[in-house]
Amino acid sequence: MAHSVSPLRFFRVVPTQPALIVWTFLVVVAIGGIAIARVPSRSGDLMRPVLLLQLFAASSGFEVPARRGHYDLLLTSGHRRIWVALVHWAISIAPGVLAWLVLAVVEVTARGDADTHLLASGTCAAMGLVSTMPWAITVRLPRFSGGIGWLLVLTLSTSVLSPGRMPGSSGANEVGESIWSAWEFLVYPVVFVGRELSIGDGLIAAPALVLALAAMVAACRWVSRTSVPLEAAQ
Amino acid sequence: MTSFAVSVRDLAVQYGRRLVFQGVSFDIAAGQSLGVLGPNGSGKTTLLRTLAGCLTPRSGEVRIAGLTPRDALTRTGVAYFAGDATLPGSVRASRWGSLGNGDVVTPDRRPIRALSRGTRQLLGLRTVLGRHPLGLIALDEPWEALDPDAARWLSTTLETKRDRGAALVLSSHRLHDLAGFCDSYLFLLPHHAKVVHAHEISATSPVTALQLAEVFDKVRGGAMSLRAVS
Repeated sequence: MAHSVSPLRFFRVVPTQPALIVWTFLVVVAIGGIAIARVPSRSGDLMRPVLLLQLFAASSGFEVPARRGHYDLLLTSGHRRIWVALVHWAISIAPGVLAWLVLAVVEVTARGDADTHLLASGTCAAMGLVSTMPWAITVRLPRFSGGIGWLLVLTLSTSVLSPGRMPGSSGANEVGESIWSAWEFLVYPVVFVGRELSIGDGLIAAPALVLALAAMVAACRWVSRTSVPLEAAQ
Repeated sequence: MTSFAVSVRDLAVQYGRRLVFQGVSFDIAAGQSLGVLGPNGSGKTTLLRTLAGCLTPRSGEVRIAGLTPRDALTRTGVAYFAGDATLPGSVRASRWGSLGNGDVVTPDRRPIRALSRGTRQLLGLRTVLGRHPLGLIALDEPWEALDPDAARWLSTTLETKRDRGAALVLSSHRLHDLAGFCDSYLFLLPHHAKVVHAHEISATSPVTALQLAEVFDKVRGGAMSLRAVS
């Protein structure tokens, strides 16, 4: 087999998101790190901008650059497409995950114990959701589409589908409330940041996480099998 | 039994409902080259992308060293380049060049979009052709925008690779790019494709652009006649 570039090296040279995203993460980590060091109890609040940025970083898009031929060198290098897809995803979410871990280390150091908001299971679930679903949604769409779509759904949810307006979520209806809570976590995972998930919380988070996993599988499968015509050749 | 580096049988490719071409068949032995000629939109790029495993054909069969194109990518070296427009403009030229075989192709640290078209084309070619060994080299309009020195380097490099056993598939819509260089020519026209071997065009001397143009006209005329009959 000919010498071929590894997906990891390729996506380090050909970044999946603009440098502006990485610089913004750096600014958020710098400001957030100082704030957490001074008031560790505010770490949950300071995680919100990281999740918001991660929403857009993960919405990196695969098909559009591939159809422009930007990934030709990699796609013809002989590596399995599933591996290409997974590395594309990993590189897309890496800045956000690193930012989260740095802030978590700052919080652990500032608190002096292991009881941290940023490593709580609720935060991990929220980070997992915003690191997977937007990538999977955007794989066939232009960059940032997943993030923009997600914010649109969030806005619609808060303005149109808020409890009381949502069918079957009158407050007295327990099933309706559970559905609303699951939906709330799906569109606004920040609600679980800083919380250790109880069994009830886990059941609320599970549908969104299963959906995200299914979307990831579908997206990786699509990358593995799809034809990549050149935009200009059609 | 002859073992071909590339074997294509009754290939048809379509985008959505639009049929790009059909009935394309040819064989290329190791160390031989095929020139793909045709007007704009006839499917030259599509054919090369199919050989490179980027497209799944509607019907027909493609075998590279006996393997499907996707399998061939993992087991034999395939170099494919579709032109300077496919390079990501924001990446530094020196970093892109290092993706070939790790060697420095250019020390130029400017973003690719800041380079001239010919320099971008040369960067892309040097990056893919730096890999080795290569069983198949599929290049789309490779001489496009190159200056005379770069064009000479490309021709010499391709001849060297061919001598080492690589099969070449080179496309162009300009006849003089491929004249005299290839062992056979595939004339790709809408709804019609024909392979003509170089020795059928000129038995004693290298094929000239004028001879290719004459054959091209005959093939095109044949296609028109076939349509008129049907």
